[in-house]
Amino acid sequence: MAMSMVRSAALRTALRGGSRSSAPPKRSFSSSAAHDDAHETAKWEKITYLGIASCTILAFVVLSKPHPHYDEPPPYPYLHIRNKEFPWGPNGLFEKKHEHH
Amino acid sequence: MIESQRHSYHLVDPSPWPISGSLGALATTVGGVMYMHPFQGGATLLSLGLIFILYTMFVWWRDVLRESTLEGHHTKVVQLGLRYGFIPFIVSEVMFLFAFFRASSHSSLAPTVEIGGIWPPKGIWVLDPREIPFLNTPILLSSGAAVTWAHHAILAGKEKRAVYALVATVSLALVFTGFQGMEYYQAPFTISDSIYGSTFFLATGFHGFHVIIGTLFLIICGIRQYLGHLTKEHHVGFEAAAWYWHFVDVVRLFPFVSIYWWGGI
Repeated sequence: MAMSMVRSAALRTALRGGSRSSAPPKRSFSSSAAHDDAHETAKWEKITYLGIASCTILAFVVLSKPHPHYDEPPPYPYLHIRNKEFPWGPNGLFEKKHEHH
Repeated sequence: MIESQRHSYHLVDPSPWPISGSLGALATTVGGVMYMHPFQGGATLLSLGLIFILYTMFVWWRDVLRESTLEGHHTKVVQLGLRYGFIPFIVSEVMFLFAFFRASSHSSLAPTVEIGGIWPPKGIWVLDPREIPFLNTPILLSSGAAVTWAHHAILAGKEKRAVYALVATVSLALVFTGFQGMEYYQAPFTISDSIYGSTFFLATGFHGFHVIIGTLFLIICGIRQYLGHLTKEHHVGFEAAAWYWHFVDVVRLFPFVSIYWWGGI
């Protein structure tokens, strides 16, 4: 009976945002919540640094590659579709590349 | 909380923001239609509507922060309700983005004869999925790790570390958006180049828009953490931002795998 009450209370606190540090007397196992969070903070800090380091290396690898050159495709009817004028003029806002041709 | 109140629910005061937000939405919709069809004053009405909506968002959330942080109305029960409200919101966002990924796979699994019967359509030069798309995915996942770091720092009461972690999260988010902008700028196709361009920019564009919303949400959390608004026991706003951020970085995997990678080789 007492066990089930403890369990349902634990379930309720978990649902309510896991207020681990709200009530010190409720702690039932050896490691303290604050210590766990400090440990997790350090762990995730390291994971973040690892992520930033590997992304930086990857960025150098990706950005050092030469840009590919694309040939102008034939004017297929499904490319560069224009059904009516834009409110601001004949070209799309980000379509500078089409002006060169 | 007011001492005479004998329950833990928050009965909100009357507020002008719902009606002002509605009027802003009406002006935006009507102004948008007028702008896209040749009516005079469409651009003015559209801009006014958008300004009205942005103003409403600012003052409404300002009121919510006052009610929670300064007036203490967000009791444990109210916090639970906010969490329960945010979960279906994120689910609806997932379904919204799923519709665009579904549109892409609908068009690519059985390409019609009008686009040459192949995917990507004939004449579309696609982006190499091993370049910026492959770089941006771990950038977003790393910022997901950084937001977890921030969460544990808040729970451990390490206030400064939490601010640093949020700065890292937001910086990675901005790098992601920067690379996404570069990718769009360099893309050899546009939104008006076949169904490929339409589905590509609709899906990745809406995802990128959600990244920007999540970034703003996290910036607000970072400022609030810096100001000491968030405590170990009470940081629902941060939790919502973190959930939203995980939604954004998990959802990134879908366009990466299905649009950039599978659809681009």
